[in-house]
Amino acid sequence: MTGYCASRLVTGVLGWNGHCLRAPSTVPLILQIRNTFILQRRTPPGLTKKNKRPKLRSRHYVYDLVEDTNLRKQENLNVILTSYVQGFGVKGDRVSVKPKLAYEKLLLPGLAVYATRENVKMYEESVDKEEKTPAFSSASVERTVGILSRQILAVVMNLETEWTLQPWHLRISFRKAGFIVPEYAIELPEEPIKGPNLDLEGKEFKITVTINKSETVPVRCRIHHWSTNPGDRLPYVQDHWQQTAEPLFPDNQKSFQSDQ
Amino acid sequence: MSKIPFNATYIKRFVPDAPFIRGRPGEVLPEAYKKFWREWKIQKPKPVHYIAEPGRWKRNPETGEVSKVQNVPIPLKFPKDSHQQLWGGEGVIQGYQKKGKYNHRVPHFWVPNLKSTIVYSEILNKYMTVVVADNTMKLIHENFGFDHYILKTPACDLQSDLALKLKRKLLTALNNKDLNHESQEKNEMVYEKYKQYLSKYTAEEIEWYGLTMEEALTKYNQEKEDRKTIEPLKLQYRLDLIQELLERGRETEPVPEEKKSWLLRINPFHSKKS
Repeated sequence: MTGYCASRLVTGVLGWNGHCLRAPSTVPLILQIRNTFILQRRTPPGLTKKNKRPKLRSRHYVYDLVEDTNLRKQENLNVILTSYVQGFGVKGDRVSVKPKLAYEKLLLPGLAVYATRENVKMYEESVDKEEKTPAFSSASVERTVGILSRQILAVVMNLETEWTLQPWHLRISFRKAGFIVPEYAIELPEEPIKGPNLDLEGKEFKITVTINKSETVPVRCRIHHWSTNPGDRLPYVQDHWQQTAEPLFPDNQKSFQSDQ
Repeated sequence: MSKIPFNATYIKRFVPDAPFIRGRPGEVLPEAYKKFWREWKIQKPKPVHYIAEPGRWKRNPETGEVSKVQNVPIPLKFPKDSHQQLWGGEGVIQGYQKKGKYNHRVPHFWVPNLKSTIVYSEILNKYMTVVVADNTMKLIHENFGFDHYILKTPACDLQSDLALKLKRKLLTALNNKDLNHESQEKNEMVYEKYKQYLSKYTAEEIEWYGLTMEEALTKYNQEKEDRKTIEPLKLQYRLDLIQELLERGRETEPVPEEKKSWLLRINPFHSKKS
C-alpha cells in the first residue's frame, strides 16, 4: 500500500453554506495527522419538530475527537490456506495473521480464503489426510534449511589441550551462532578430527544436521584454534566466512567443490 | 428524529420524491429508478464519524424527565476526487476545534487516511488499483470479500460514484450471467455464491441502478428515440392517395369505353414478317 496525499482534496472542499469561515486562505493546508476518527459535538443542537431540518449554527460545528480508530490494536484475520505456503502452513490450515499481511501475501494472490462457514467446510474439513501430509514436517522447516545451508559455522577449539571433535563441541558452536541444535541431530564426518593441529586451522569440513528427525541439511564448519593466553592467540581474520577455505578431507574435494 | 435526510435539498414542506413530482424533468422516469434514488438519497446512511445514541426516548437520571432522542448526523463533504475512489462511507468533515476554555475555536478539516491498494472482484475476475480509506479495508474484511461488501451495502453508504458504478456492473454481470472465469464450473460456483443479492432487485431495477439523474434522463430519452420507427414518407403518401381515389370513386359513375373504328385499328407501321 502506498500513502495518498489528501491535502490537495481539501482546497476543493472550502465552500460553506453561507456561513463565513475565518480560515486563512494564504496558509497551505498541510495536514500532518490524517486518521479515521469518531467525533462528538461540543454543543448538541436542540430538538426539532417533525419533518423539519435541524437549524445548525457555527457552535454546532465544534467537534471533539472521541476516538481515533487507527490507534486501536489491529485484530488478526482468520484465513484458511488453499495450498502450502512457506512460513504459514499447509493446505487446509487455519491461520491467524495481521490483516495487512494476510491481505497482501495470502488473500490477493489466492493462496488463502476468508474463514467463513462455507469456506471452512470446503477447505478445512474436506481436505483428505493424504492431501494434508505436507512437503515439510512443519511450517518453518523450509526456512531453517535455507539458513543452515548458507551458514559457515566457526568451531573454536583449544590451542594447547588435546581434543577429538565431538557433537557437543558443535552444539556449543551452534549455540554461539544462535542455533539450538541437540546432540542427537548432529552427525559428524566418518573420520575423527583430532587436534590441536595448526594444519587444520581455517579448513572446512561438513557435518549433517537433522531437523525434526526427518529433514537433513549439510552444514559447513571451519576450525579455529583459540588460546586462553592472549599472547599465544592467532591473528584475527576479518570476515573469515567471506574467504574460500581448503577442505579438511582432500579425498572429498570433488563433492565439496560442487556443493560450495 | 425527523424523516428529512441531512443531504436533502431545502424546500419549505419536505417532499420525499421531489425530483419526480409533476412539472420536473424526473417525472417521466420509471418506478425502478425511483427505488434506487430513494436508496441513494433518501435513506439515512449508517453513522461512520459519530456514535448514534440508541433508542427513541431517554430519561434524565437526576430529574427523571423523559426526552426524545434525536441523532443529528455530522454533515459530510465529498470532494470531486472522492468519486474516483472508494471511501467506504467516510467524508471530509469541516468544523472547528476548541482545545481549551479560553482558546478561541479554530477551523479544522478532518480528512480520511487514504491508501492506494489493489482490490479483487470475483464476479468480474479483475484486479483493480483503487485509492481506499482504512475503513473500507476493514469493511471488506468484515464482509469476507470485496464483492460481498459492495453488494451488501446500500447506495447511501457507498456514496462515491465509483462504488455505485461498480455495484451496477456487478449486478448486471450476475443478472446476465456474464462471468469470465477459466471454466464454466468456476462461473457457476461464483454465480451460486452471489446470486442471493439478485433477490433484492428486479431485472428492470438493475437496469436503472447506479445512474445519476442526468444519466437516467439521457437513458430514458434514448429509449424513447429507439422506440420510434422511421418509415419512408412515400408509403404514407401512397396510402393517402389510395384513400383519396377510393373516395373519388364512390362519388362519380364509371366512364364507358369508347368504340374504335376499323381504320384506326390499322397500324401502318406494323412490321411484316417475311
